[in-house]
Amino acid sequence: MTSETSISEDMDKTRIIYQVRLVNTPGPLPCTSKCSLLDSLESHQLEVHSHCREGFCGACRTKLIHGEVEYITDPLAYIDDDEILPCCCVPKSDLVIKLG
Amino acid sequence: MKYTTFNQKVSNPLTEPMFFGNPVNVARYDQQKHNIFEKLIEKQISFFWRPEEVDVSKDRVDFQKLTDSEKHIFISNLKYQTLLDSVQGRSPNIAFLPIVSLPELETWIETWSFFETIHSRSYTHILRNLFSDPSDVFEDIVLNDEIKLRASDISRYYDDLIFATQLWQTQGEGRHHVDGQDYLINQRELKKKLYLCMNSVNALEAIRFYVSFACTFAFAEREMMEGNSKIIRLIARDENLHLTSTQHILNIWARGKDDPEMKEIAEECHDQARDIFIKAVEQEKQWASYLFQHGSMIGLNKDILCQYVEFIATHRMSAIGMESPFEVTTNPLPWMNNYLNSDNVQVAPQESEISSYLVGQIDSEVNADDFGDFDL
Ligand code: FES
Ligand SMILES: [Fe+2]
Ligand SMILES: [Fe+2]
Repeated sequence: MTSETSISEDMDKTRIIYQVRLVNTPGPLPCTSKCSLLDSLESHQLEVHSHCREGFCGACRTKLIHGEVEYITDPLAYIDDDEILPCCCVPKSDLVIKLG
Repeated sequence: MKYTTFNQKVSNPLTEPMFFGNPVNVARYDQQKHNIFEKLIEKQISFFWRPEEVDVSKDRVDFQKLTDSEKHIFISNLKYQTLLDSVQGRSPNIAFLPIVSLPELETWIETWSFFETIHSRSYTHILRNLFSDPSDVFEDIVLNDEIKLRASDISRYYDDLIFATQLWQTQGEGRHHVDGQDYLINQRELKKKLYLCMNSVNALEAIRFYVSFACTFAFAEREMMEGNSKIIRLIARDENLHLTSTQHILNIWARGKDDPEMKEIAEECHDQARDIFIKAVEQEKQWASYLFQHGSMIGLNKDILCQYVEFIATHRMSAIGMESPFEVTTNPLPWMNNYLNSDNVQVAPQESEISSYLVGQIDSEVNADDFGDFDL
């Protein structure tokens, strides 16, 4: 827990790479805590559904199966407890996700 | 129950349901039962825009270059959007304000409706630029059979709820005989009407604009009618926010986070609500056929458009826990995302084609070159 807190505090200075695994896809993808999870996933040539890219439309709604994310913009779209909006969050740990 | 504009009964807005509790008295936002609505108000206000700020004068030249079938597509879509925003500019206020019980939700409804009136005003701005007298276009909206067919489905659930609420306000619960018809009015019936109405509004905000949006942005992909496209992007951004609000309301009910009776109704009326959504999808697909009856336009045809509607519908049905009957899993119009991205909407004027985005009172006849290195 302590190490995670220090990670978010250092976000400006440090760039941390986490491993993000997608259900039904081989191999984890390295994703940085420096840009939105959506940007990271797209940089790996993944097609993620998105519209607003600002957390209010819900188009990017994704299941979070394992791990933790941190929101860089307050998400306004409706999401369930086990869902995240990749357009406005960054990974805070290694993740397992399932795209919508 | 009679409506009162300032309910003097002491009530606790933190324990009231969203609708059909006590009427709101003090408009206070220091505490909120569902703070999402306060956040949506802030976001919506931050989106404020004025149609007049978007220069559409270049579109006039483009419009003359369109083929007749493209003109039909363009104008028909504007007519349909005019209908939708005519309804949305008033109906949430008339239907929901008399029965809302939370100050933050009451103000969200008013804010939402107000933005729909900006959309309506923007259609006049667009049409005035294309025609010296746009009367024919506006007048056809109440005569055109295709539009009328949609209008009756869109207004039906609102009208039902509004009339039942009026009976309840003036005559109370019970069986009422009006103009040769019997009406059963009680809390449960009123709440059911509210639930179906909210689903119909949700479907409207979720998919009813998307055939039109796709055509607009397909013109913009060809660098045609770009002033119009800028306006539609601003509208699309607002519509996404409206949709988020109706999704929240429906999900708050369905998850029992508000009125327990609404949770029961959500289960009981689930199939009916799903039918409302599917019928809206079918109507949109028929609209696509109507648009393309005289011929397609470059970059778009009826089939792709219908697939796109199904694709969007699937996402939006799943957001409110509805199973989609459609099988389209990949986006048939990936370029649409660029136009729906809010980052691309309000670019600083000095960074984009200056001639098509003017701020404030700058004369719209000003030429792009006149600006030079103009810095704001
Ligand atoms: S793209 Fe709109 S919420 Fe993520
Ligand atoms: Fe609108
Ligand atoms: Fe809307």
